[in-house]
Amino acid sequence: MSESIFELLLKGTWETIVMTFVSGFFGFALGLPTGILLFLTRKNQILEQPVLNRTLSVLVNIFRSIPFIILIVWMIPFTRALVGTSIGVSAALVPLSIGAAPFIARLVENSLLGLPAGLIEAARALGATPFQIVYKVLLPEALPSLINAASITLITLVGYSAMGGAVGAGGLGQVGYQYGYIGYDAVTMNSVLGLLVLLVFLIQFAGDFLSKRFDHR
Amino acid sequence: MIELKNVTKNFHQKNRIVSALSDVSLKVPPGKIFGVIGTSGAGKSTLIRCVNLLERPTSGEIIVDGKSLIQLSNAQLAIERRQIGMIFQHFNLLSSRTVFENVAFPLELVGVSKSEIKTRVLELLQLVGLAEKANDYPASLSGGQKQRVAIARTLANNPKVLLCDEATSALDPATTRSILNLLKDINRRLNITILLITHQMEVVKSICDEVAVISHGKLIEQGSVGEIFADPKHELTKEFISSSLHIDIPTVYQERLQKEDGEGLSPLLRLEMTGKSVNEPVISEVSRLFDTNFKIVSAQMDQAGDVNFGVMLIELSGKRENYEAAIQYFISKHIKTEIIGYV
Repeated sequence: MSESIFELLLKGTWETIVMTFVSGFFGFALGLPTGILLFLTRKNQILEQPVLNRTLSVLVNIFRSIPFIILIVWMIPFTRALVGTSIGVSAALVPLSIGAAPFIARLVENSLLGLPAGLIEAARALGATPFQIVYKVLLPEALPSLINAASITLITLVGYSAMGGAVGAGGLGQVGYQYGYIGYDAVTMNSVLGLLVLLVFLIQFAGDFLSKRFDHR
Repeated sequence: MIELKNVTKNFHQKNRIVSALSDVSLKVPPGKIFGVIGTSGAGKSTLIRCVNLLERPTSGEIIVDGKSLIQLSNAQLAIERRQIGMIFQHFNLLSSRTVFENVAFPLELVGVSKSEIKTRVLELLQLVGLAEKANDYPASLSGGQKQRVAIARTLANNPKVLLCDEATSALDPATTRSILNLLKDINRRLNITILLITHQMEVVKSICDEVAVISHGKLIEQGSVGEIFADPKHELTKEFISSSLHIDIPTVYQERLQKEDGEGLSPLLRLEMTGKSVNEPVISEVSRLFDTNFKIVSAQMDQAGDVNFGVMLIELSGKRENYEAAIQYFISKHIKTEIIGYV
C-alpha cells in the first residue's frame, strides 16, 4: 500500500466519523423533540392532540420513505442555499441530518412507549407539569433505550455517509467508490470495508456499554 | 375532607359507551380512613383516579379540602394535586433515581433548595424506616420497601389527603400488615385523611374507619366498619365478610367425621358470631347451664370497629340429652350454629 493511499484512507475515515457524528447530533436535535411530541400528542397521553399527531406522523413517514440516495440529490437546491455548495462533507451533513431526523423521531417515540404508563401517572399525581414530566421522568427513565437508539442511528449514518460518498460527499464511501470500484483497486476496497466494519463495531460497543451503565432497572 | 357528588364516568369503546361509575357520592371526614372495596372491574380504580382527576369524570363534582377541583385549570390542578398524595399497586418509582432521589423528586418539582431537600428526605426516610437504603436503586428493594419509598415520596409534599390505589395488592401478607400499620401510623401522627381502594376485606378490617362497597360502578352499601360487619345488607358485602372469615376443618377431624350420630360420638359445631351476636361470655354460660363441655378445635375471632365477630369450630361433650338445648341457646343469642357432623 503506497503512502498516498494510506493518507486517503486516513482522511476518509476522519471525514466519515465527522459526517456520522455531526449529522447524528443535528439529527437528534431535530428528531428528539419530534419524537417526544409524537409521543405526548398520542391518544390518552398528557398532551393528546389527534390532528397534530397525525400531521407529524405523516410528515415523518414521508421523509422516511424517500430513499437516501434520492434525498441527497433532491435536496441539492436546499443544501446549496444553506451551506453554499452541494459537494463535500459540509454539504453532505444537510441531507444526512434531515434523513436521520425522522428515523430518530420514531426510535425516540418507541423508547418512550416502552416506559411503564404508571410513571407518568405518578408524576402527574405528584403535581408535575408536562415539561417536568418530559425532562425529569421520560428522558432519564428512557435514557438506556435512547442510547441504544443513538447507536442504531449512528450505525445507519455510517452507511448513509458511505452512500453519499458515491455522489461526492467524501469520506470512506468516496474512497471506496473512486479508488476501489472505478479504479479497480481491491486492496483499497477491502481496506475501506474493514475500516467501516471496525467503526460500526466501535459504535455498537460504546453504545452497549453506556446503555448498561445508565440502566438501573 | 374528600367529597364526591354524583360522580359519573363513561368510557367510549368502539361506538359503545361503557359506564365505569354511575352516580357515586361519598364523603370522607377529616382524619378518617375510608375504604372502598369491590371485585376487579367494579370501578374502584376509576373512582380513586377521579379524586385527583387523573381521570376526568363525565359529570359530578369533586371537592377536596373545601376546593372543587373540576373547574381548575391544569396549572392550578398541578398545585392542588400536591395536597393529594397517592400511592399505587405497582409503586411507580423512577428506576433511574436512587431511593433518596425518588423521595426528592416532588421537592425538586417545586424548587426546594438542595440543603432543604436533604434534611427533608432523610427525615422522611427515617419515618418509613429506610434511612440506610438512601443510596440504593429501587431495583434492589423488596416490594414492601418500594412501597415505603413511594409513601415517603408522596408525603414529601405534606399532603392533607392520601389516596391508596390497591397499595398492598402486590405484597405478601406479612408485608401487607407492615404497610397497613405504617399507613395507620401516618394517619394518626400526621392526621392525614386516607381514601383507599382494595379487594381485600383484611385491609378494610384492619385499618378503615368507614367502608363503601362498590359493584358495577355503583356504591351499594356504605357505613362505619362496625355497622357493615354487624349488619351487612347486600349479598356481595356478606361474601366479602365471610371471605375474610375462613376456617378449615383440620385433617384429623376431617377423616373421623361421620354424617350420622352414634355411640361414643360427639357433635362438631360451627359457631358464627356476627355483630348481631350478643356480647356475652356465651360459651361458658352454656357450659354451666347445660352441664356440657367444649373443646375448641379451631377459631378465628376478630374485631372490626367496635364489633366482635368470627367463627369457631367446637367439639361438644358432656350431658348428651342437653345438646339440643345448648344449641338452641346459642341460636337464641344470635350465634349462627351448624352441626357439621359427629366425631
